[in-house]
Amino acid sequence: MPGKWDWLKDEMGGVSKITKFSTVMKFLKGRVSGPDDMTKCAMCPNMCRHACPISIVDGKETTSPAGKSRVGMMVEHDVIPMDEENLYPIHICLSCGCCEKWCPFDFSVSEILKPEKERGIDEGVVFEQFQEMFDNLENYGLVQGGIKEERSYPDEGNILYLRGCEFRGGDEKVIGKTMGAFEKLGLDAFVLSDEECCGIPAYNAGNTQLFKELARKMAKKIDDSGAEKVITSCPSCAYAYRKLYPEFGLNMDVEVLHIVEFLDRKKNMKGKKKATVTFHDPCKLVNGLENNKGMEDVLEKLGLDVKVPRRSGDETFCCGYGGSTVCRLNEGLSSRISEERLDELSSLSDKIITSCPTCKKAFEENGDEKVYDIGELLYELL
Amino acid sequence: MTPKKVVNKKTPRKLDEVIGKISGKIGEDKISTQKVDLLSYSHDYWPISLHWMLEDRYPSIPHAVIWPENKEDVIEVVKWCYKGNVPIYPYGGGSGVLGATVPEKGGVVVDLKRMRSMKIHGKDLLVEANSGLNGYYLEDELNEKGYTMGNIPQSLYPSTIGGWVGTKALGQFSTKYGGIEDMLKGIEMVIPPGKELCLKPHARTSTGPDLRKLFLGSEGTLGIMTKGWFKIWPEPENRMKLSFASDTLEDAVKSVRKVMREGAEPAVIRIYDKIETKRHFYDYDEIFGKVATVMVIEGNEKITQAEKKIVKEEFVGTEMGEKPVDHWLETRFNVKEAAEFVPMGVVFDTIEVAVNWSKAINLYKNVVNAIKPIKGVLFASAHASHFYPQGICFYFTFAGTPPRKKDAEEFYQQVWKAAMSAVLDSGGTISHHHGIGRQRRDWMEQELGEAYSTLKSIKEKLDKKRIMNPGNMGL
Repeated sequence: MPGKWDWLKDEMGGVSKITKFSTVMKFLKGRVSGPDDMTKCAMCPNMCRHACPISIVDGKETTSPAGKSRVGMMVEHDVIPMDEENLYPIHICLSCGCCEKWCPFDFSVSEILKPEKERGIDEGVVFEQFQEMFDNLENYGLVQGGIKEERSYPDEGNILYLRGCEFRGGDEKVIGKTMGAFEKLGLDAFVLSDEECCGIPAYNAGNTQLFKELARKMAKKIDDSGAEKVITSCPSCAYAYRKLYPEFGLNMDVEVLHIVEFLDRKKNMKGKKKATVTFHDPCKLVNGLENNKGMEDVLEKLGLDVKVPRRSGDETFCCGYGGSTVCRLNEGLSSRISEERLDELSSLSDKIITSCPTCKKAFEENGDEKVYDIGELLYELL
Repeated sequence: MTPKKVVNKKTPRKLDEVIGKISGKIGEDKISTQKVDLLSYSHDYWPISLHWMLEDRYPSIPHAVIWPENKEDVIEVVKWCYKGNVPIYPYGGGSGVLGATVPEKGGVVVDLKRMRSMKIHGKDLLVEANSGLNGYYLEDELNEKGYTMGNIPQSLYPSTIGGWVGTKALGQFSTKYGGIEDMLKGIEMVIPPGKELCLKPHARTSTGPDLRKLFLGSEGTLGIMTKGWFKIWPEPENRMKLSFASDTLEDAVKSVRKVMREGAEPAVIRIYDKIETKRHFYDYDEIFGKVATVMVIEGNEKITQAEKKIVKEEFVGTEMGEKPVDHWLETRFNVKEAAEFVPMGVVFDTIEVAVNWSKAINLYKNVVNAIKPIKGVLFASAHASHFYPQGICFYFTFAGTPPRKKDAEEFYQQVWKAAMSAVLDSGGTISHHHGIGRQRRDWMEQELGEAYSTLKSIKEKLDKKRIMNPGNMGL
């Protein structure tokens, strides 16, 4: 069978040797790697633009996926300086990974631009809004800083439930209901009273050093807990523990699952009530953990009438607060994205289900619709 | 830091005053004069402007970028820019390949992507959409509701409705659904000196010359489109996929001509010359070395069955089944090669032209033979991608590396010049669907003759101060 580039080699066979000819031939033979990822992305006409919530709502070339890489290239080539003004568009990214599905190179723009974000930190170009988050993470191990929790939960059991910063520092009642649902399912769940952040907000903001410190601590705490299984409410946490930690050499013995993944595997789980609902697939669940149908399948398994949004599965649309950076640098843009998503969901049902603390927060801060976390819903239905 | 290669255009005398007025009317958050934004709007997908970017050259930066959110904002922008003689460059998805949005004289770029609402009028088979609406968003939403517009260009993902109208674009399924000119039923425009006009979406109207056609393909030189009404179709109930391997390009072209003559209209027909067949279908042993044709027939069950029968009767070639069509469907949005090769110094571009059947093969040969001997050219090839009872669109691709003592731009223009001359000498038209922009403007006079003077007169009347995309299309 002919090879991919045989046609070009045939054509080039008749061409006299000229400048750069040998470079092309070496590339075709796989001897040179070709341009770097950021340049390739910058040279694309934005074939993922339609999937990028920022690009759709903000409508700016500067913050479009390829536009960010072009800005990265301009900074890298010293066309413009590395400063807050030029680092800003690079950070206007929800880290949702919605671009990756459409990229012929399977790039995620947030990953491609990670070196630029890290360079910003190294060179002391740190946004005030990020510094506050970094300080909280360093001093308290939590995004919000010091928090007061009203309830305590068992600190021993088989299943470690990691609650995540957002529920602990904000919507604490969801934790109680999720623990209640676990009890109804017959699980012996417990929590870590000294649970800290998984580190992903620091990772997204380019502070890889801080991420590594937090990751080392949490990996040890999870390993030391003796849990047979770990369940998280936050898909970003599950993504960090399962996908990012191993990239930094932190391999934990225990299996980590997001609650939807856990429920997806569970058989004989029927709800007691009927209702029509719609759902929002969190981006880290579908694009990070690659669970495209989990939300829909779990809701159907519970016996609900499920209205599927046009933008679901790996074509989901971020809640607007993903990635921890946009909502800190441009609250208005985050809100507009949330509102757009809520408009779509509320046209399908007045009961919106999600499975991410950040998504729930984004929707509740930007609309009047009733939004339930899957843990809360489970508690009500079982 | 002031980069040496960023060229600031002469600032229009009243720029600050104009920006101040617009800012006061529409809000300062919709305007930017930050360098990073100006540089981001200094190019589109014209290979020349990409080449500038790779070399860290920015010779055409605007003075401001504006993101209007509604028609009223656009009226204010046009009104104040016209008063202050500030050039305006309407901007959609930036996927145009001929430099139509490059702000070569400075001024303001008006990006319409925040104007993106849509409304489906199912009973009338119309969709109403703002000009900044994303193409994929539109088609996906239509599909969700059981319709299609049938306009699926390769730039579907990044491009906008306004860009489609502005460049008189068309998509891969055009042989059935037509080009954007067949779909556009009504249009709302803002024209100098800040006036709004609306041509309503009647089923048909006999009310003088059709001004919709005047704005179609005007590439921002006559005004800014704010909204359009487009023809839609119920989603097809049946889809069939056919492919053939023919011994010669002549066999395949003649077969499709006869199919079209019989009245069949497959939505997709693509004939690849031998080089492109090898390039796209290297996985298929039986096709390699031949001329591949892929087809998609879709629509009403009975009609599509009849079309399939006509195709099978008329086609000279071996049937290859559905797999090559599936391969095309899976890879049709892949634009990987440009991103891989252009940064390595390879000059790469496509040139789409149209010609009537009687001159088709002659034009194909003449263009390939005009490009290939140019020193540095690695290959020149073509596929035919859009068909009419009267003729055909050939889509040429060339790549090369500039020979010594010749820079990339010079080499690129040498190839273009050879191709355009061959097209005109062979009786073809210089553009089928990419438009004119800044790359093709030098051939407009030769293409249109006296009609070009008429076009210039219309421009003069509508935009006396020449603020709308000045220089584009040579206007």
